[in-house]
This record gives sequence, C-alpha cells and structure tokens, in this order.
Amino acid sequence: MMSKIKFLILALLMAYKFDAFSQCNDELINICALDIGEATYLKEFKVRLKKAKKGKPAPVARFSVVLNKGTHYRFTTCNAKEYDGEVILQLYDADRLLGSTYNVQTGKMYKAFDFICRKSAVYHLFFSYKEGKEGCSVGILSFVNKED
Amino acid sequence: MVRIFFIIFLLAIGLISCKTDSTKTGDTFEIPDSLFEEEPLVIAEEAMDEIIQNVSSPVEMAALIKNTNAPFEQKYLCSPDLTDNINTNFKRALCLGILGADLGYLNMYNKTGSVVSYLSAIKKLSEDLKVGQFFDFTTLKRLATNNTNLDSLMYISVSSFNRMDDFLRENSRSNISTLIITGVWIEGLYLATQVVKEYHNKDIAERIGEQKIILGDLTIILKNYKSDPNFSVLIEKIEKIKNEYEGITIRYELDEPESIEEEGVLKIIQHETSYVDINNEQLNNIIKTAEEIRNFIINI
Repeated sequence: MMSKIKFLILALLMAYKFDAFSQCNDELINICALDIGEATYLKEFKVRLKKAKKGKPAPVARFSVVLNKGTHYRFTTCNAKEYDGEVILQLYDADRLLGSTYNVQTGKMYKAFDFICRKSAVYHLFFSYKEGKEGCSVGILSFVNKED
Repeated sequence: MVRIFFIIFLLAIGLISCKTDSTKTGDTFEIPDSLFEEEPLVIAEEAMDEIIQNVSSPVEMAALIKNTNAPFEQKYLCSPDLTDNINTNFKRALCLGILGADLGYLNMYNKTGSVVSYLSAIKKLSEDLKVGQFFDFTTLKRLATNNTNLDSLMYISVSSFNRMDDFLRENSRSNISTLIITGVWIEGLYLATQVVKEYHNKDIAERIGEQKIILGDLTIILKNYKSDPNFSVLIEKIEKIKNEYEGITIRYELDEPESIEEEGVLKIIQHETSYVDINNEQLNNIIKTAEEIRNFIINI
C-alpha cells in the first residue's frame, strides 16, 4: 500500500514538473520570437497536430494571410521540445507552392525562409509534420524591411 | 491511513493550484452578458477567424509610411483623451483598434514619449472590455520609458493585441474582435490617406488601392451583426467606402518564383507582380471618405 502511495506522490510531482517545462503553449511564441533576427514581428500561427493514422496522409493545419507587395517577409518555425514532430511550413498562392521549410529533393529542413513579396494577395500557409509525427509548433510571420 | 490520503489530497490540490495556465494571464472574472454574441452567426466561426486573420497588421502600414521618409506627424493620430467619454462597448472596441493602430505608428517612429499615454488609454479600454489581462502594462510602460529595448516594446504590444484577439474569438466575442479589427483597419487607412494627401507617394497610393482585397471580407464579417443598430450604421459607412473602391482594379503579371539559398538562409523571390490601377479622383474620394468614417467613429 505504501509503495502505491509513494508512486502516486511521484506521479503527481512528475506531472507537475513536466508541465512546468512544457513548451506547447504561448511561451513557445516568446521563445520563437527571439529567433526572427533583425525583423519585426507581425503575427504567429499556433499548430498542434496528432500523429497521422496508419495509411492516412499527415494531418495539416491551414491559415490564410494577406501579404503585401514590396515587403520582405520572414517565416520562422519552432517546435515544442516535448514532441518529436518537425514542422514543415509551406507557403501557397492559391494552388501554387511558392516555398517550403522542407526540400523534398535534398531532404533538408529549414527553420525559416524569407519571402520577397511582389504581389499583394491572400496567401495560404500549410503546416504539417515530417513523417506524420505528432507535434506542437509555432510559425512566426515577421518582416525584414521594405524591398528596394 | 486516512491521514496519508488527506496529505496526498492536499498535495494534489496544492500542485493543481500552483500550475499556471499560460493562456490565462489574469484572474477569472464575470463578463457582462452584453459582451457576448446573442444571435447565431451568418457565416461560420472558422471563416470569421480566417477573415479576421487576413487584416494586415497596422505595423506594416506604419512601416510603409516610414519607409517613404514621410516625417512623423502627431496631428494624424487620435487623441488618447478620447477614452474619457466612452460608455459603450461598441465604441470601446472600435477605439481600441484605432489606438492600437496609432500605437503601431508611434512605435515605428520610436516616439516612446507619447507611447505611455496611448498605453494608458489602451489599458482603460481593454479593462473595460474585460481583456486587460493580455497586456502587461507595467512592462510596456517600463520599456517605453527606458527607450532602450524598442524591439521588445513592439513585440509585446503586437503580441498582446494578437492574444487578446484570439481570446475574444475563442470565447464567443467575435463581435468585439470584429470591431477592434475594423478600428485597426480604418485607422491604418486613415494614416495612409493623410500621408498620401500631403506627400503624393506612389507606393502608399498603391497600398491604399490594395485595401480592396480585404474590404469585401471586412464587410462580410460586419454584416454578421447587422441586426445590431450600431453595427448597421457602421456597415453603411463601410459600404460607402467600398463603393469608392468599385472602379479600382488590380492586375497581375504572371511569372515563376525563384528559390535561392544564401549562407544557409532560404530566400524565395516572387516574380509574379500585382499592379493597382487607381486614378487621382478615386484616390481623393477614398481620402475624403476615410476621413469621414474615422471622424464619425471617434465622435460617436
């Protein structure tokens, strides 16, 4: 009986400790905002996706955003440490893929990419996880300066 | 044995109460019923979220203005004293948006001396709307007063607005969120039109014309609440400016994007370009109507 009680106390303490170091919350936005470099923060996109079901495509989160002509944007991603999932951010103009943090040919993952926008329009952002893993991430949209 | 269980119980209660939920930055409170939406929305909440997200940040408009080398003009801004006589949530929300856009303009020009009075006004409005918990005014005022970490001041200001907006939409208060966004948009347009009126800048004129992209969506979300007489009057005003945009066209020149990697940084250069066809008469009509609507809002 005593060992069960000890286990219960330990589990409660572990649960508390795990939560105290959890990153899948607004703190991740603050952490990620430090990674945008010499850019001005505009907005964030919070993503939390479950593991892909067997034989099914990886879950995707979609957001839309108006981007303005003549602006140098930066998309930065950050993953919460407690999940394995590495986020892939793709930028679409209607159904045309403009850029991605994952290069399918080389297998290289990028934490961020810059987008030199020359067309004011509504764009779409798609977030998914490499190999359909479960994950929690933040994407930050910022701008660097006006394009010359 | 009972004592042991009692200790575990106390320990569990203690741990739960010590846990901090980062999404709740203040104490729980009662929100008056009038702040909630009373009628079902015409368009889905998800579509509303998407449209609201699409309204560009006021910081982008302020950055564009600053990049044209137009000097800072206090006269463009709404007075923070405006908050003294506000007694409806409708006007509080609109004015919160207006002052938020002005705060972006002040921050962009590093006018930290004036920032404090705008922060005080925003504090009052947000607290009256029961969303003051998203603004750490002590830190914001310290950053503004010290005039040192301006990036942090900008980040905390903008992210506080974003979190407040998320909270409002997640808690069936999209009507308030819609009004704040409308206030932000009108003030951004007003600032741009005032600058272009004095400095005739082509880039700003084009950005004014590009507002056609979101104006339709803004009208759609406002119409969700058209049964409210206050919203109905506001919709009428927004429809008026929408009419001024009727003849403006946006053309596109198609081309493929280019992807390059420089020192490990991935850069995507878009070669497809948009062009706005806006003549002086159209621009002048928008300037006039933007002034009219903005002044209508602050004098409600």
